[in-house]
Amino acid sequence: MSGEPIIRLRGLAKSYYRESLEIPVLQGIDLEIPAGGYYALMGPSGSGKTTLLNLIAGIDRPTGGELEVCGHTLNGLDDDELAAWRSTYVGFIFQNYNLVPVLTAFENVELPLLLTPMSRRARREKVEEALAHVGLTEWMEHYPRQLSGGQEQRVAVARAIVGDPELLVADEPTGALDHKNAEEIMALMEGLNRDLGKTIVMVTHDPKAAHHARHQIHLEKGVLDRTIEVNR
Amino acid sequence: MALLYLILAPYLAWLVWAAFRYPVPLSYNWRSLWQRKVSTLSTAGAISVVVAIFVVVLSLDQGLSRAFVSSGRSDQAIVLRPNSRVELSSTLDRDQLRILKTSPLLASDAGGPLISSECVVVRSLEKADGDGSANVTVRGLEPAGIRMRSQVRLLEGRWLTPGLNEMVVPRRMQGRFMGLGLGQKQDFGGRSWQVVGVFDGGGSAFDSEIWVDVVALMQAYRRTMFSSALVRLGSEKQVGGFAQMVDQDKRLKLEVRSEPDYYADQTKAGQPIRILGNLITVILTVGAIFAAMNTMYATVASRTQEIGTLRALGFRQHEIMASFQWEATMLCSLGGVLGVLLSLGFNGIQTGATNFQTFSDVSFAFLITPGLMFKGLAFSLFMGLAGGGLPAYRASRIPLTEAMKGG
Repeated sequence: MSGEPIIRLRGLAKSYYRESLEIPVLQGIDLEIPAGGYYALMGPSGSGKTTLLNLIAGIDRPTGGELEVCGHTLNGLDDDELAAWRSTYVGFIFQNYNLVPVLTAFENVELPLLLTPMSRRARREKVEEALAHVGLTEWMEHYPRQLSGGQEQRVAVARAIVGDPELLVADEPTGALDHKNAEEIMALMEGLNRDLGKTIVMVTHDPKAAHHARHQIHLEKGVLDRTIEVNR
Repeated sequence: MALLYLILAPYLAWLVWAAFRYPVPLSYNWRSLWQRKVSTLSTAGAISVVVAIFVVVLSLDQGLSRAFVSSGRSDQAIVLRPNSRVELSSTLDRDQLRILKTSPLLASDAGGPLISSECVVVRSLEKADGDGSANVTVRGLEPAGIRMRSQVRLLEGRWLTPGLNEMVVPRRMQGRFMGLGLGQKQDFGGRSWQVVGVFDGGGSAFDSEIWVDVVALMQAYRRTMFSSALVRLGSEKQVGGFAQMVDQDKRLKLEVRSEPDYYADQTKAGQPIRILGNLITVILTVGAIFAAMNTMYATVASRTQEIGTLRALGFRQHEIMASFQWEATMLCSLGGVLGVLLSLGFNGIQTGATNFQTFSDVSFAFLITPGLMFKGLAFSLFMGLAGGGLPAYRASRIPLTEAMKGG
């Protein structure tokens, strides 16, 4: 399943500034993730794993080093270029699902496609396909408040894959779910990696969730501690 | 306000363009408004009151202006004593009138030359609502004076018979004053005057005047002097010539003013009401803009995570800005529609105001025209743009990482 690196980080660094005081969060990260990989980012709170995920997903900008994802060097892109890049290459799965409450499941999944020149009919087909993939065809006209947590997260997964991005990033995707639903989401994501060849980078605290990944990257105080291949 | 819209035009054009071109659907904003029914409705309610007041003040202003402006004909002139701004403080004697009546420039009809010597007095009448009394203008005129006011139509009864103690009254005053019904009598000047006709002044200043025969009025009040003369010339161009002729005639020492000019000057009578109305509207508008702004800031704050999600998915900053600007505009336009409906409740209500130049009552009706309704809606749109601009900008500038945390 592994191929050419889809993510290439060279000496990546990120610092925050508070009243001219520099607070380093990530330092000297060198990392390559091959296309089709499934990586779990792990580490204690404050180790910088969410920051690293945000950098990889083009949500935040590094303060040093090089960042190349899906064939694009992200360092030099402005806000609008980054937004366009995200909409093309990245699918997001959040801990709290982040569905828009006033939109139905169908409309939530359709959101990323509104940024493409796709026709209404083509969009409908794509959305229905994505919702079928997560087993929610029957629920597409429901609003998020009418769905369970597990269903909401599945809608979020459908939204992440509807535009067929190469990379999926997930921030604690099972953090708000009970054991059974967490297992279902993990199985779903494993399938996306195995069957659709999606590269997945996932931040998690949960060792069980991390076990579904093929590799685990451990961060410690902002530096890369070790990368482990998961044996199953 | 037109200037304001001219300044805002490029922004408005961008917003309209955004509605068609940008990917955030407007239904998202509309539904988000209904998600927060209470705050949406209370803000829209506050805006509706301001819009209603705005429309009613405009209608009052328009009603007053209409009362004066529609009173004059451009080929007619009023002859007054020099420096008399109003007929009430002017005097003309019989000799002066005799000279005027011989002018070759006067137009004439089947009834003779079109000139009417007139006398104006002010008389206090009891209000119909029992709320004390108000001064009204009583105009004594000649039959030609009635023919020369072509905007005045007889609705009931008949016109005056010269020499008799009769009066004709405007329909608009009937509802506002007691004892003006057809056949009823009023006592003034030591005589009893019977209502023999009811007319419609077409929204002009004559809707606020009681008309009687000039000779009867002057006898009752023991007057020897007239107040003014109304003359019609052959054409509008001859008004200047007539004024020159009067000016050059040393026997006259009178001033000629074209009828539209004279009444346009009278619109100043509405000035205090207009200033007060505008002041109230401005204060309320500032309040309403802040209410809209406050609601929109609260909306943006409560949807930080939602905004972050949209941005993460690839929606751009100016798309978010347009989206929230539309939401504010929808909120205020909703208030605008409610306000216009509210103002319709005033449509047709007859009221009066004091003319501070003659200290007599001016009757007019609130008329909520489609034009005023449009202005009310445009005004609410302005409040949406002014109140929503900053919160929308703020929404678009929330750092993506902050938004992702949910604020």
